[in-house]
Amino acid sequence: MKSLMDRARGARGALGALAIALVLITAAMLVAGASPIDGFAALFAGALGGTHQLGETLVQATALLFPALGIALAFRAGLFNIGAEGQLLVGGLAAGALGANVHLAPALAAVIMLGGGALAGGVWGGIAGWLKARFGANEIIATLMLNFIAASLTGYLVAGPLKSSPAGGPETAPLAHAYWLPVLLPYTRLSIALLIALAIAALLHVVLTRTVFGYELRAIGEAPEAARRAGISLQRMALLALASSGAIAGLGGASIVAGELHRFNTQLSPGYGYTAIAVALVGDLDARWICVAAFAFGILETGGLAMQAVANIPKDAIHVIEGVIVVLLAARRYVAARAAIAS
Amino acid sequence: METGRAMSVALALRGIRKTFPGVVAVDGVDLDVRRGEIHALVGENGAGKSTLARIAFGELHADAGSVEAHGTVGLVHQHFELVGRLRVWQNVLLGREPRTGWRIDTRAARARVTHLAQRNGLSIDPDALVEDLPVGMRQRVELLRELERDPAVLLLDEPTAALAPGEIDAFFATIEQLAHNGTAVLVVTHKLNEVMEHAQRVTVMRHGKIVEQTQIARTSAREIAQAMVGGELPAIAQRAATVLAPCLSIRDLRTAGAAGLRGVDLDVRRGEIVGIAGVEGNGQSALADAIAGMITHAGTVAFASPHTTVGIVPQDRAREALVLGWSLVENVAFSRFQNARMHAGPFVNFANARTDAQTIAQRFDVRAATLDVPVATLSGGNQQKIVVGRALVDHPEFLLAYNPTRGIDVGAAALVQSRLVQARNDGAAILLISFELDEILALADRVLVLFNGSIAGAFDGASADRGELGRLMAGGA
Repeated sequence: MKSLMDRARGARGALGALAIALVLITAAMLVAGASPIDGFAALFAGALGGTHQLGETLVQATALLFPALGIALAFRAGLFNIGAEGQLLVGGLAAGALGANVHLAPALAAVIMLGGGALAGGVWGGIAGWLKARFGANEIIATLMLNFIAASLTGYLVAGPLKSSPAGGPETAPLAHAYWLPVLLPYTRLSIALLIALAIAALLHVVLTRTVFGYELRAIGEAPEAARRAGISLQRMALLALASSGAIAGLGGASIVAGELHRFNTQLSPGYGYTAIAVALVGDLDARWICVAAFAFGILETGGLAMQAVANIPKDAIHVIEGVIVVLLAARRYVAARAAIAS
Repeated sequence: METGRAMSVALALRGIRKTFPGVVAVDGVDLDVRRGEIHALVGENGAGKSTLARIAFGELHADAGSVEAHGTVGLVHQHFELVGRLRVWQNVLLGREPRTGWRIDTRAARARVTHLAQRNGLSIDPDALVEDLPVGMRQRVELLRELERDPAVLLLDEPTAALAPGEIDAFFATIEQLAHNGTAVLVVTHKLNEVMEHAQRVTVMRHGKIVEQTQIARTSAREIAQAMVGGELPAIAQRAATVLAPCLSIRDLRTAGAAGLRGVDLDVRRGEIVGIAGVEGNGQSALADAIAGMITHAGTVAFASPHTTVGIVPQDRAREALVLGWSLVENVAFSRFQNARMHAGPFVNFANARTDAQTIAQRFDVRAATLDVPVATLSGGNQQKIVVGRALVDHPEFLLAYNPTRGIDVGAAALVQSRLVQARNDGAAILLISFELDEILALADRVLVLFNGSIAGAFDGASADRGELGRLMAGGA
């Protein structure tokens, strides 16, 4: 039940960030001596210029959307979950291992894979939540450290116990074709994972704005002392928030395995879990705007490659610009918080 | 005081106007403060008095009008602006430290602060860490910092809000001395007894305008109060005869910490208000937290029945009671999720929450554009009405009210106090913890004095003697 003003503010935040991104990209092109018009033409053609390009953009957007929604959930509870990367990995591994080893009806197998991925991510996030609830551990440190453990653990497991074949690379056995998530857009890699992500976004929005759980979650984020005095257990909510946050990211990892890679390998994520922090912030921690932000980031990721070829701007520049946007938005939040205190 | 010296104007404000988005905070105000006078500026919350003081100090710029000061202007803020990790002398001289070369001359600095304190009759240890000091001492530091610049005009914004009765007297003795020596003093306050006792002139503001300006000798507290609220003060509801029945029983309650309880026994019965009088820091917070189940304790806190319904008005509305970014409806729902009315399955029952919010807004005259604006946009008085209204909306058998009218305006305070008395008349047991002795005396059927974690005395509300209470509050045997 955000007020109309807050909604406008959220919209302005996302649109403002996009506008700044465009200005920065233009500046980068001019510095590189390329024509911004050609560069943007290449960027948008590369991202949206055809079915294949659109599909690829949406694949990227989907991969970012899951962890961004998870991060936003934790953030609304006042918890900075930067462990989405690790939660993605364990979710993906669980899905890959289950998919390679169960023999079930395809629909059931998909449910088992995705459910197993969500569970694994939930446990991974839940560990950080438990550490916080039980020992008062800082969740930023805990989730970050768990990323390294997840990377090492999944790397070890696919190089050893879960390896597909003695001769093969570090990955789980390929999924049976019947277990692949159905393709959404013909002739692209885009699977129905996009629809699942959008459904999660809708669910998250309803949970946060209509349910008792959502209100308790936001209360511990916005007014922890008032929440405690209203009988809400901060420990319990921290555990639940980080576990749910991890579950959404884990589901994202599972959907990449079931919909895109069709096996788990350690190259599952080029840092989706970290970029998703930016997506969540750009989306003003509002599930609806996060969908928009994920699409915008998908465009930058996919179109960046084409831009590199045409306008001679390294794709890494895109990441630099993404970083700048995050800093700007963080500053905006900081300024707003200061203003709120001052008034 | 009517000497020639007292008549010369030290601070002249002319046609001051200041708007904030959506409100005219100060609307065409003329005000003179004369050398040697204590001038009280009173008004309800939001009347524009603090804004006017900040404009006079130069902290805010007026949209229109002029500020003319003969000499420096000092401002002692309502919320102290001190660095807790620095020592007293470091705070007093911050930015103006005496130097030898590039080093601070600590010896000279200490001597300067000690001398300044002595000259003004404000004894203080210049080497104490500010964060270790009690509130009254911190205010001395704040005052010394302003006096160090030898101001011709001294502005005091709600200076006694956090002080105990004894500290208040000492504070005004200092201020009267300053005025006697020729300083022009403007005191922004809402405590009318202090105005009547210590000021020579009073200016009353309402809605950004001056509605009354007169000599104290020619007015009364009642007239000033009526000018502040713009009409008759709402009378506090009369206490009716009630049937007393046991409700809360506390035995040998002990809690840890310097401001803990050292064996408190007390009973609160349905149909009575028990007032806990005392100076801040004598165990009030521990008592409230133990009853609310927020801290561990030894001894017993027992209600007459395990099903006794409890309402709580916490001390700090902004931190402990409300989620400021949420609407009235959301706040009414949020603290009552244990109540089946507030949910429908996993969902918040917004329909019931809205009904209850409407009830509260009506009963407590909450002034909000709609029930859906964030409560952060409401005045402190309206926020407090929401907190008290929410605690009473389920008609609890026991109510804990901790400083229920702190920092809110006269009209709002009278309304809140009336509702407490009505709840008592309807059979609620009320434990009222307040730092305002006047409030306790006005409301309580029985008064207990809390000093240093123990009950130092018990009185019948009707026969309690102010002087005796004050003596016990200060630790007198």
